Amino acid sequence: MIFSSSKKCLSTFCILFAIFITIPSAWCDEVKARQVLVELVQTDDRSTHQASLDKLSKLGEPIIQEIVAAWRVGNISRSASTQIVYWKVADNTYQNLATGELAIPADDHKKSRASRKLRKQLSKIVDFLDLRSPDMSTRAEAARKLGATQKLEHLEILRNLSQEQTSHEVKLAFEEAIALCLIAHGSEDEKVTAIKLLGDRHVLAANGFIEKARKIAVGADATNIISAADIAMRQIKEHQQFIDVIGTIVRGLSTGSVLLLVSYGLAITFGQMGVINMAHGEFIAIGGYSVYLVQNFIITTYGESSAMYDWYFIIAIPIAFLISAIAGAILEKGLIQFLYSRPLESLLATWAVSMVMQQAFRLYFGAANVSVSSPDWLSGSANFGGVLISFNRLSLIIFAIFVVVVTKLLLSKTNWGLHVRATMQNRQMASSLGVPSSRVNMLTFAFGSGLAGLAGAFISQIGNVGPSMGQTYIVDSFMVVVVGGVGNLLGAAISSLGIGMIDQGLQPILGPVMGKITVLFMIIAFLQFKPGGIFPARSRSLDD
Amino acid sequence: MNKLSYFDSGAEKTLFAILACFVAIFPVMNMIFPEGSLLHVSSFQLNVWGKYLCYAILAVSLNFLWGYTGLLCLGQCLFFALGGYAFGMYLMLMIGELGAYKSVLPDFMVFLGYNELPTHWKPFYSPTFAIFAAMWVPGLVAFLFGLLAFRSRIKGVYFSILTQALTYAAALLFFRNDFTFGGNNGFTDFKFILGTNINDPAAARGLFWASGAFLIGVYLLIAWLLKSKFGLVQRAIRDSENRVRFSGYSTTHYKVFIFVLSAMIAGLAGALYVPQAGIINPSEMWPTKGLDIVVWVAVGGRGSKFGPIIGAVLINLLKSFTTRAYPESWLIILGFVFLFVVLFMPNGVMGLWEQIKAYLAKKKSKQVTASA
Amino acid sequence: MSHHPLYKDTDLVLSIESVTKSFDGFKAINDLNFYLGEGELRTIIGPNGAGKSTFMDLITGRTRPDEGTLKYHQDDGHDLDLTKLREYEINRLGIARKFQTPSIYQHHSVYDNIVLSLGHNRSVLHALFYKESKPDREAIEEVLETIRLQDMRHHQAGLLSHGQKQWLEIGMLLAQKPRILLVDEPAAGMSDEETERTGELLLSLEGKHSIMVVEHDMEFIRQIARKVTVLHQGHVLKEGKFLEVANDAKVKEVYLGRQKHE
Repeated sequence: MIFSSSKKCLSTFCILFAIFITIPSAWCDEVKARQVLVELVQTDDRSTHQASLDKLSKLGEPIIQEIVAAWRVGNISRSASTQIVYWKVADNTYQNLATGELAIPADDHKKSRASRKLRKQLSKIVDFLDLRSPDMSTRAEAARKLGATQKLEHLEILRNLSQEQTSHEVKLAFEEAIALCLIAHGSEDEKVTAIKLLGDRHVLAANGFIEKARKIAVGADATNIISAADIAMRQIKEHQQFIDVIGTIVRGLSTGSVLLLVSYGLAITFGQMGVINMAHGEFIAIGGYSVYLVQNFIITTYGESSAMYDWYFIIAIPIAFLISAIAGAILEKGLIQFLYSRPLESLLATWAVSMVMQQAFRLYFGAANVSVSSPDWLSGSANFGGVLISFNRLSLIIFAIFVVVVTKLLLSKTNWGLHVRATMQNRQMASSLGVPSSRVNMLTFAFGSGLAGLAGAFISQIGNVGPSMGQTYIVDSFMVVVVGGVGNLLGAAISSLGIGMIDQGLQPILGPVMGKITVLFMIIAFLQFKPGGIFPARSRSLDD
Repeated sequence: MNKLSYFDSGAEKTLFAILACFVAIFPVMNMIFPEGSLLHVSSFQLNVWGKYLCYAILAVSLNFLWGYTGLLCLGQCLFFALGGYAFGMYLMLMIGELGAYKSVLPDFMVFLGYNELPTHWKPFYSPTFAIFAAMWVPGLVAFLFGLLAFRSRIKGVYFSILTQALTYAAALLFFRNDFTFGGNNGFTDFKFILGTNINDPAAARGLFWASGAFLIGVYLLIAWLLKSKFGLVQRAIRDSENRVRFSGYSTTHYKVFIFVLSAMIAGLAGALYVPQAGIINPSEMWPTKGLDIVVWVAVGGRGSKFGPIIGAVLINLLKSFTTRAYPESWLIILGFVFLFVVLFMPNGVMGLWEQIKAYLAKKKSKQVTASA
Repeated sequence: MSHHPLYKDTDLVLSIESVTKSFDGFKAINDLNFYLGEGELRTIIGPNGAGKSTFMDLITGRTRPDEGTLKYHQDDGHDLDLTKLREYEINRLGIARKFQTPSIYQHHSVYDNIVLSLGHNRSVLHALFYKESKPDREAIEEVLETIRLQDMRHHQAGLLSHGQKQWLEIGMLLAQKPRILLVDEPAAGMSDEETERTGELLLSLEGKHSIMVVEHDMEFIRQIARKVTVLHQGHVLKEGKFLEVANDAKVKEVYLGRQKHE
């Protein structure tokens, strides 16, 4: 109890701290905006309006938009006696506009209405509000949006604001927006320069506009513009192709990482130990369900909006590994250890285990998939020069690398790794030399199963968690191991990345299902020519 | 025990006689005893047992491959389903204009917007062609795959895993609507077979007899193969392929021949199965189905001629009983039964008697040594 | 590139010239030249890892050489390139091999083991419709007599003693009536008496077949040795009569000498 309550304290503290450091600056601007708006509502003297409006136009606060909208529909009122301005935020709920505190309005409060001219001026400020947003990406986005309208009247404000921009990124966005306006409205020279700028910067969104401008130029016989447009469109197209290639590679990497995660455990149990574990897929499912259980536990104990919930996935990863590793150890002790010299029997026995486990999941968790949600920090996506990659996928790639490195270190640097390698080369020799082979076997199988659990944990973030989720991956996993060369972990890593790449490369052409089928047939064909896989295990024994 | 003939033991002779009588008499009971009579066999039951006979043929075909040659094929369901699809195409065309859309085209084609029958469907108006296709399509797939696999010396578990991948890929293909085989739903709602209404008891009897006769024929064919020199070579490949190869035999030729024959038998079993089941869809070639067949053979006893027949019937009887009585625990029961067989009954039900005899002999000799 | 044979003789059955084979950079066979005469009994010795088994693998098509030629001289005077043939095709030419560990069909009877080794009816179709003929039966009886397993003909081969299994395998080779017999460590695991009888058997076959015997057992080699080839690091170190070889300084150093130290 002490543990959990202290954790709660800590998390609350974290939140408060976060609020304190982020609020002040935003709070200042918002207060300023409120004050200016209060001034506007209170003064009937039109001559001071302009000064207030100028002040307001410098501020990019989103609250301005809300207040102006409220004013327009008559939700702003003022009391002549107290000189307080109220904002009706809901039925019978008012707040003091200046402070933002809830207030009970004075009896004499009356709806305030802005003049037509003021309304027009205000709406202009609101329209360009985002251009002044304190958030830089909102600002750049707003500039791009305005540019895409190609309206002449936006040119001026874009130009004015462009001067003031300090952030390089935002300045670029403004320049691109200006260029977009110019290719519709500028002089011939301006058009040419604008087109060149857009082409040099590979602005993908500009392609359509440049094409339009080229059409117009063909009508007007403006050869300068036509040739500039041709160059720019080619540049943009090349860039698009480049992005597509990068995108395919990244998607291939991420598919490959999934394959690697699901098959690495198998590469150890099948490749290193020679056990055909048909229940490998069910260990993946154990990993998935572990995440589900941790998620539920955290929600019921701490609530869905707690800081703990954000971290549930991190907590779930080692748990998923442990649970599947323990299940693996039990399976090894209870069954597999009797079947080491009989691969076909191990295949059949583990298939029976797989059936039982699947049905057990179905009975306990239900036949339908269970819902596992991603924490916020895993739900976004990162932008790499126009290529969007979700954090899910990205973390998958990083984690796959982590698994490969850790496994490599464990096998090459630890005592256990030495024992594993010795046992795998010659079981009898190793045990007669004092390697505790039954313990090594159990640990190795547990490790392989634990890796399957890890894979399941990650799959829970990108796919379904259900009783037969393992079946989806079992054929793929075996293919990866066989293609890589049984007993070769590097081979498994290379083959999973290769298969992932080919799969993603084929998908845009053939569609997902045909792509997958083609990959399967390619693998079958590949194995005809290299039956030992990429790195065939060399055996000089006579009765292979 | 090492020289095989048609029947290797009294037990096999008895079992064969029982099978032959069952096949001959069961439909007769449907015909001569009136409904309501204790001895009456309903057409439904006849269909159910007809399906079991098809499963038995399928299991025999796998046993020929696995039990006697050591090639564990996890994609035997693919050949069964291919045969089923081939004959299913004929049955679909026989529906004629009685489908939901009243079109000469099968319903799913109308639904998918086909205007005319695809060319590769046209020959399937002929039942003879369909039966032959049920043999040579699986045979051709097995030939191509087997030739490539055996030439490059893929064997053991690798062969098993690859056959599983093959059936998985094929299932994905058949799940697609544009593959012209009805996608997800496959073929169903058959109406006529060889001019007879498929729901007519006569059709049920005919199909049952055909399945039974084919099973008996396959049994005799395989028994004949096993007792020939071919059978000697086949079992020699299972035990020591290298020696066979270094004795001047092309083991690739033998294995391809065996694989193709086994696939053709499985295909015909599928063709007989589909009219009795009334449906064929891609789930029949899903990898788990392939493993089901392995379970039948292992439980009955691989490497014995009656084992697969007994295994297929026993497991399916158990399944139909359990899925009705305890639907949720069927897979768990099957899993444990299979696990028990793999661990403690390497020769399955058929090897049980020998196992008991060996156990008793051992006990006896122990007692003798103890008393001495 | 042409290879000039050191000598060429019409009595040869096998010419192996400039053959090299490496595994992962390790040269198991290194520029090997070897000739086997018709009806010759040749003994091949060499320390562990000298490449003896790889040498046999190369002749029987189990592995392919990286370089060099393996020529089989047929009766009709035509030469065949063994590197282009598959194992079963090489065997059908009349090159039979006995493996180091007895390689027999454990679950078949002794008799069936011999039936399977007869040198005809080996294609699928022929095997399907094969009927045992009288000459076949006589040939099988003769082999059974040679290997002294007449009384065990209906026994399951897996139940034979180790020595009997070795003999059965030799019998299986003989049933094929091969031109060349490759025999890998026939005396391994045999009692002294069995070893001696094996030696006698091999000597009795001399002249009827060309025989290559790989052995470790020095007593056994002394018994059967005619011409001896010493392999070392995949290369022929010395070739000659047993005593000549046994007294060679280099051979003593790499092989016999080492054995003395042990």
